[in-house]
Amino acid sequence: MKYTALLVAAWVSMLSPGVFADWQFSQPIAVTRKAVNGIYHHLEGAGRIHIATSGNRIAVLWEDDSSGDPQIYLALKTRDDPDFNPAIKVSSGDEAYEPAIASLTDGRFVLVWEQDGSIYASTFSEQSLSKPLKLSAKSLASHSSVATYNDQIYVVWREQQDETWSLQIARLTTTQKQEIELLSIRPVEAQPVNTPVLFPSLATNGKGLYVAWEDRTAGHTRLKFSFSANQAKSFIEPQYLNEFYSNRTEYDRGNGVTRVSIAGFGEDEIVAAWMDKRRSGGYGIFASIGSDGAFGPNEKIHGPKGDKLPHSNPATSGNVNDETVVVWDDYRNGDSDIWLTSLDEDGEWGENFSPAIAAGPGEQSHASVALDETGGLHLIWIERDNPLEPTRLWYSYGK
Amino acid sequence: MIKIYSLLFLCLANFMSQHALAAPPEQYNFLPYHKALKQASEDHKPIFLYFGRYGCNTCLKMHKEVFSNPMLRQTMSARFVLAYVDTESGNRIRLDNGERTTEMQFASRSRILGTPTFIYFSEEQKPLFKKSGFQTIAQMHQYSDFVSQGHYKTTALKQYLSSE
Repeated sequence: MKYTALLVAAWVSMLSPGVFADWQFSQPIAVTRKAVNGIYHHLEGAGRIHIATSGNRIAVLWEDDSSGDPQIYLALKTRDDPDFNPAIKVSSGDEAYEPAIASLTDGRFVLVWEQDGSIYASTFSEQSLSKPLKLSAKSLASHSSVATYNDQIYVVWREQQDETWSLQIARLTTTQKQEIELLSIRPVEAQPVNTPVLFPSLATNGKGLYVAWEDRTAGHTRLKFSFSANQAKSFIEPQYLNEFYSNRTEYDRGNGVTRVSIAGFGEDEIVAAWMDKRRSGGYGIFASIGSDGAFGPNEKIHGPKGDKLPHSNPATSGNVNDETVVVWDDYRNGDSDIWLTSLDEDGEWGENFSPAIAAGPGEQSHASVALDETGGLHLIWIERDNPLEPTRLWYSYGK
Repeated sequence: MIKIYSLLFLCLANFMSQHALAAPPEQYNFLPYHKALKQASEDHKPIFLYFGRYGCNTCLKMHKEVFSNPMLRQTMSARFVLAYVDTESGNRIRLDNGERTTEMQFASRSRILGTPTFIYFSEEQKPLFKKSGFQTIAQMHQYSDFVSQGHYKTTALKQYLSSE
């Protein structure tokens, strides 16, 4: 009897982590040319949304300094194309940073980025970019992100005015000529705060619009979120997303957290993942699932191997079929590799999985993902021989 | 009137304390990493690189109990170019390979496990050793002597510390 129970337990344990056990990834496709000395690509935007799909198109948006200064670039391919088209320069100005991309219908995309201290938005349709629209006011603006729902466009960024900071959210639409049209701008919080707000992430689902960000008003970094059920006309009072941990010493304010990424999935659900330093050994990857303007308990989602090593750069994606995925990088196997996990049908996080095409010798890091409606996973990441060497961007499709 | 002044004082104290948390220790001339590299090249000085975190309890303890020591402040300021990295910030820096990234990404790639972490560099900007967690005033002086007096050229840190 005991033997039978053990067999059953073993059989169940083989099945339960199997969300990604059968996943196969395509041979990687280069998004950018071979690494060149002195050129560095970055996928470091707020919310880490650097890839999107629309219809048959796949679009990748990043920053690199191939022109001599940091600028934003877009590359596209169809699902059937063997390669990406040559990159299109999106930004102008002296320097541009931290872009984000989201899909519109009919093979179109909306792009946002920071350029010389201002936030710009543009669309890509057919074969061209629309004229960029400057969204931010006179204040110093940075850390922009974007989300879409049924072709409604929302953009978030932070603004610094003297010694105060605020998050601004714009609601946009597109004209028949595919130009960006600004509908409204409003702050998330009623009043600006005296400490920096950082790297807001934005997501939508059938119930509304979520924004999550780093807040320092508590004397250490906490993650806050807010929700709007009326197309960004108003927001609920910000709530804490990460649970509070402290060693309760004389000096302790609480643990560190940083770089949250959120994504809508299903009809009305939301996933958040972030770096959380509530235990020793660097940041872990923690996540929370929410709905109806609230989040549930925090869960550690990185696996036991390398638990006490740092984990970095989480990114999230979801689809309408109730599927969601979180990716990040850590060096539990020596060098930095890409890792991912997903919710199973019971709402439990599956075992960590590292796609072989984004693992092995050298550094593979800074993944960004788009989970399409068929459950296909579009994955991009940065590859370099070591943390100081030049970089290259890769893409792979997992099914 | 007293109530108004009290409120103003509380607001000011809160504002100042929040800002103090984000910063390296007071009365030290800590620079962003890329500016420290340039300064060290011009001054031919070693670099003391401090990875801190906003609200980190051990960092605050060291600020109050160690970095506040006048002799340590004088020694560190005279011997080193001081660099500070906020491990969660989006402040942009240029690394010595020319790459532009943020302080958070620099800390992540440097595999910093916790804060505070201190890295001592030679005059030639070669990393010599790393220390993490609370360090006493005496330890900080020993590390300082080890680097600035050139003991690292002939002796391992562990051997130097045991002989001291």
